[in-house]
Amino acid sequence: MALQDYRAMMERCSNCAGCKFIPFDKVKSLRFAENCPSIGYYNFMTYSARGRFQLSQSLLDGRAELDDTITNAIHACTSCGYCDIGCKITRYNLEPLEHNIEQKAYAVENGKVLEGQKPVIENLKKEHSMIPGTKKANRTDWAKDLGLKDVFKDKADVCFFAGCKYSYDPKLQKVAQNAVKLLQSAGVDVGYLGAADNCCAGRAHQMGFFADFKDRANANIKAFETAGVTTIVTPCSDCYHAFKRQYPKLGSNVKVLHIVEYIDQLIQEGKIKFTKTVPMTVTYHDPCHLGRLGEPYVPWDGKEKKIFNQIQIWEPRRPRYNGIYGIYDAPRNILNAIPGVTLVEMERIREYSWCCGAGAACNESNPEFSAWTAGERVTEAKATGADALVTACPWCKDNFVNAVDENGNKMEVLDIIELVQQAI
Amino acid sequence: MAFPRELYKALEDIVGKENISENIGVCETYRCVPSQSSAHYGPTKNWTPRPQAVILPGSAEEVQNIVKICNKYGVEFKASTTFWSTMGYIGGDFALQIDLRRMKSIKIDAKNMHAVVEPYAIAATVQAEAMKVGLNLNIPGVGCSSSTLANFSTWVAFGPNSISMGYGNENVLGMEWVLPDGEIVRTGSLASDDGWFCGEGPGPSLRGIFRGAFGAAGSAGVCTKIAVRLHPWPGPADFPTYGLAPAYKADWGPNFKCYTLCFPDWKSWARSIQYFYESDIAYSGHRQFNMFGRNLKGAMIEIISNHERQLTDLEELVNDPYIKEQTEKMRHDYQVVIAGFTPKDMEYKEKAVDYILEQTGGWKSEMMLEKDKHDYALLYLTRLGHKNLNYVMCGAYEGVLGLTGNVWKAIEVADEATALKRKWETEHTSIAATGGDSAMGCLSGLGGGGTTGWEFFTNFDSYDKNSVEGTYAFVETTQALMNKYAFGPDFCRWNSDVRKMNGYNYTQEEQNEMFKKAAQPWVFIYQYKIREAINPKNLCGSYVRTLDPKALEE
Amino acid sequence: MESMKQNLVDIVGAANVIDNPEVLASYAKDESFATPMKPWFVVKVENAEQVQNLVNWARKSQTPLVPVSSGAPHFKGDTVPSVPQAVIVDLSGMKKILSISRQQRMCVIEPGVTYGELQEALAKEGMTLSTSLRPRANKSVLTSVLEVEPRLNCLHQFNYVEPLRCTEVTFGDGIQMFTGEAGGGPQDLKKQWELGKWQVHPGGPGTTDIVKMVTQAQGSMGIVTWASLKCELLPTVRKSYLVPAKKSTDLEDFVYKTIWGRVGDRLFVMNKAYLAYLMGDTVEQIAELKTILPNWVAPVSLSGDILLPELKVESQEYGLKEYAKQTGVHLLPEVPGVTADEVIEKASTPSGENYWKLTYKGGCQDIFFVTTLDKTPKFIEAMYELAIEVGYPTEDIGIYIQPQHMGTSVHLEFSLPYNPDNAREAKLVKELYTAASMRMSKLGAFFSRPYDIWSTIQLNKDAQYYMLLRKVKEIFDPDNIMNPGKLTIK
Repeated sequence: MALQDYRAMMERCSNCAGCKFIPFDKVKSLRFAENCPSIGYYNFMTYSARGRFQLSQSLLDGRAELDDTITNAIHACTSCGYCDIGCKITRYNLEPLEHNIEQKAYAVENGKVLEGQKPVIENLKKEHSMIPGTKKANRTDWAKDLGLKDVFKDKADVCFFAGCKYSYDPKLQKVAQNAVKLLQSAGVDVGYLGAADNCCAGRAHQMGFFADFKDRANANIKAFETAGVTTIVTPCSDCYHAFKRQYPKLGSNVKVLHIVEYIDQLIQEGKIKFTKTVPMTVTYHDPCHLGRLGEPYVPWDGKEKKIFNQIQIWEPRRPRYNGIYGIYDAPRNILNAIPGVTLVEMERIREYSWCCGAGAACNESNPEFSAWTAGERVTEAKATGADALVTACPWCKDNFVNAVDENGNKMEVLDIIELVQQAI
Repeated sequence: MAFPRELYKALEDIVGKENISENIGVCETYRCVPSQSSAHYGPTKNWTPRPQAVILPGSAEEVQNIVKICNKYGVEFKASTTFWSTMGYIGGDFALQIDLRRMKSIKIDAKNMHAVVEPYAIAATVQAEAMKVGLNLNIPGVGCSSSTLANFSTWVAFGPNSISMGYGNENVLGMEWVLPDGEIVRTGSLASDDGWFCGEGPGPSLRGIFRGAFGAAGSAGVCTKIAVRLHPWPGPADFPTYGLAPAYKADWGPNFKCYTLCFPDWKSWARSIQYFYESDIAYSGHRQFNMFGRNLKGAMIEIISNHERQLTDLEELVNDPYIKEQTEKMRHDYQVVIAGFTPKDMEYKEKAVDYILEQTGGWKSEMMLEKDKHDYALLYLTRLGHKNLNYVMCGAYEGVLGLTGNVWKAIEVADEATALKRKWETEHTSIAATGGDSAMGCLSGLGGGGTTGWEFFTNFDSYDKNSVEGTYAFVETTQALMNKYAFGPDFCRWNSDVRKMNGYNYTQEEQNEMFKKAAQPWVFIYQYKIREAINPKNLCGSYVRTLDPKALEE
Repeated sequence: MESMKQNLVDIVGAANVIDNPEVLASYAKDESFATPMKPWFVVKVENAEQVQNLVNWARKSQTPLVPVSSGAPHFKGDTVPSVPQAVIVDLSGMKKILSISRQQRMCVIEPGVTYGELQEALAKEGMTLSTSLRPRANKSVLTSVLEVEPRLNCLHQFNYVEPLRCTEVTFGDGIQMFTGEAGGGPQDLKKQWELGKWQVHPGGPGTTDIVKMVTQAQGSMGIVTWASLKCELLPTVRKSYLVPAKKSTDLEDFVYKTIWGRVGDRLFVMNKAYLAYLMGDTVEQIAELKTILPNWVAPVSLSGDILLPELKVESQEYGLKEYAKQTGVHLLPEVPGVTADEVIEKASTPSGENYWKLTYKGGCQDIFFVTTLDKTPKFIEAMYELAIEVGYPTEDIGIYIQPQHMGTSVHLEFSLPYNPDNAREAKLVKELYTAASMRMSKLGAFFSRPYDIWSTIQLNKDAQYYMLLRKVKEIFDPDNIMNPGKLTIK
């Protein structure tokens, strides 16, 4: 697909505002009613999915150009995908998220990228990591002493895929280690890719760097095939989304589980048993790429058709990703199973969860915007009265840890694995 | 023509660099394509002009300063909120678009049942805040995604619960306006800083110069804050819902019922509506789902209330014997929400509904009593959250054959209007063939009953040039029927005399030609004089219909 | 002056031009403290055409016009000319009820129609009109609604000016037009009825609510020659209660809750003095009632009409009892001295020939304004303080609180009976009226209907509003002939 292939969508957008607010039926307050970080921060219509549709028409028709302001507007989108969910409450034939990312790709093709994106992509190309400054050589340092099987050498039931953030971030490495230990102690036959461990490049896709994404994705798919990997478990939501939704388009058949799904399953099977009470009230943040964007990919090949003169349908029936089958219950099951933990919900949850701000590498390219987005979530989390904000994605956690709420206050942020660990 | 530097700099100084842009790409996103959005003058693919800059003020004071600068430099300006409708967009080349999205506060006086709201407080948020204290508001048919302030102060604002809550005009209390000349006026009790509770006076109500049957759509300055009257909400404070997207639903217990009432003919249908006018039974009343058309509504209700369903299922569902039968039973129908303030109140209202049906030979739709349909419809009519239903079928629509007013008169025309649309559906492919009768709208646009607010939904594809042009041709034909029965300008032509088809403002001369022919042209003369008084440079577009008295004398 | 008179005779006929000094004197003052001013002529008009001709003549001759539709006594100074050489336009002779539509629940009336006349005609059709509190027998319904006198049933007051809908008005510039929905069709009522248009919708025409120019205007913008009004169905079942209280604040929660619950078609609050004035037919009865009535009473009434009326009243009674229980008050069918049925009946029907407010002392000065229920205590407290300061008997202060506009505000009225023949007493009341009006304003009273001195007090609060009001007045009355001197700052 190219940007011009989205022309019908651009002209069919009804400007209903669904892309800017949580589902209207779910609005419970003024404070937490909106849901597009980009227009939330920058305010101009241009930064909403509606504005982006409109902008693309102007770009393609030569009325607007990719100057610095527009380049920033295009990339200042976390690709969180809420606009897509909001839109699909209304419409059956628009794909705002796909379009947003395609618009980014259009900018990238035209050499219009942000300064902050360059080191990220450079690092991906050179070091196969999306964290600037990190080296390929150190990628598996976190896994030393864990006794993990190298799946290229020894078969394992599941392949643990840590992802860049858990692999390199010193504060998060321990979480990955604990996740592995948890699986091991539950008797799971777990391995990893060893020297072939790599970046999933999902974030490159979110940024519109399609070629770089494909490079890494194809390398990974080949690695999975070569090593005979059938099931991947990852604690990273970005990796999860990449494997679950993007890789199958490139031919991957590997089964993917997020660690929360696996832990939930192990708890239900009695293989993980909690022995300690954790007296804490927590609220849970649904990571975008685990929640609404965590629905499984369903292959479809068809075309548009009109019935009753002008009603546009898909023939055959096309999958409609409206976020409802994302991973929402597993993390909540885990939290509810931990003795002493009380889960309280924020207003924006599940398919209409607010983004952490780190998506599409906006934490690198647009740090103020990214921090504001995270701060909004911390404010919302604090409004629940919870002691801690729990999440299941390292990018989210990192962004929240560094964020402050509207009053300038920080909040305790926990990876769900940390909480599980506390109870064992 | 780009703004002179000193002008742009002056505007920038008011709001700060981050809240103004003259970038062409940014300004391009502040243009409206009438075929994609609501225009009320028929779909065209002509974009409204591109503003020279877009500015986002954060307070009434900033708005005032912006307007003063516009006056100094003769810049056209128009403020908008959600930018849903063509009305909110500028209509000239040397123009500034004001985007009010940074102003969205809501303050509620629960005891005295009103909310003071800023422009970007959409109805969903006002309602959510109101419900926390047992109150609700009239959400107009445009849906909860729209600005309460914009609806109430500058447009129409009637909807499902107008029958029990009144329409926009009736619900406005104090208002704060930045006049087009840059002065701030506060109306009602607010003028004297006594509070927001009363919108009328002192003396003759100056609110009357800002909005009448409908509002000036941004052509009378910038309304920066209003108080709207709230109404009792006997439901849960936290507005619980259930179900999977997009088919969210609500079950608020036995105190709430949503019925689809059906009748053998238009006469009994109208009689039943009169009963509702004469009682205080209906919390909401709307002919809602007929928007999908007489032939498709049963199938569409199944689709929208079931998260697994898609439009692809439509043909199959339309031919499903049960749905076919149920759709046929809903030919002459509408929806009402009954809300009980006490169990006894609910008991009375339930019996009263049954009594009305008994007297009129009507019945409750069985399909719409199925739990998922009932709970979907209840939520829909209460929040109007899925404004999308306007778009769900084709992405674009235009309302035609606005049989607004006297319900008894409307039914005399209903069959003819149905036949007209059905003929077009079968002879042309430009509009969706939904069964002719696709009339939807509120049981009453006025509190306590009295006027319907119908429009025949006409769905089309804004991407398809033939569909757009064909729909335009269709809406050109409906006015003849409207004229025949003295219904006045059709819904789809409401704005055809305030913005040209090319997206630009009308000139005074052009408006003179149109309005001097009116049966009673006087109001246009007064509107001209009011504009001269508060908008001497005529800077806010041409959505106020004006007639230069000299033109009438000629 | 003779040529002036001839001009008027040419317009309305000799029999309708009055310059009898006694008649003129009767229009020179009213029961208020407004400065007396004798008019030049009193002209009785019979139709809209005459009104338009009169206005056009007045423009040419620069003659002030003061429209009057109700019979005496007047109380607010609005019918007393503020400038010399004015012509009183007496519309009381225009007494036609132009239409009654049961189907649309609408009626169209001329200015001279009184409540008694209209209610009788409507009752024949099974309808009634919402009413202000016990209006004068000769009170013009049209004036009552144009001046937005508060209605007893706030719950059906969807529009602030309910039951007023459309009008025919001749503005000070001589333009005669229909307002509201009626302004969009042919300027002929019969033709509109033939087209199925019943002057239902008050908005507009267009983006202007023209009718709002003539409401609360004291005739200072134009002269209305018919108005369409929204009617109610005539109740077939009624049940009324009185809710007594020691303090007004004891009733606050109950009133709010009852409004919230949309219960009843009559609800108001009165102190014992006000209720005594309403219910006592003689000075003695009033005096007696003042000793036995509870300090405060909230009369509330439930009704049903055509749709299962008994069941409706029963269900509403259930709600009312719940709200009473929740708010700690008692619903009683009667209190010492009066029954609920008597109070509701009397409040809802026009006064006898002798206006009830004058029974006690022969004179009465009201102070009324709009506020919210929760703010009323501070005004009441201030009123008592001022009365004590000036030496007015506090036990004579009548207080009436009428929720309006579906409960978003209340009309708060202080009624100060006095003997107008007693110069000292009159002076004292005038002093209290002036001081209290100013004090109330400072406390946040909103004089939405700014009669007499309230005009200066209220309009002085916001220069911007006043300036715009003057601009608007200039548009509709460019020669300032319509009741000049009203709605100004002096």
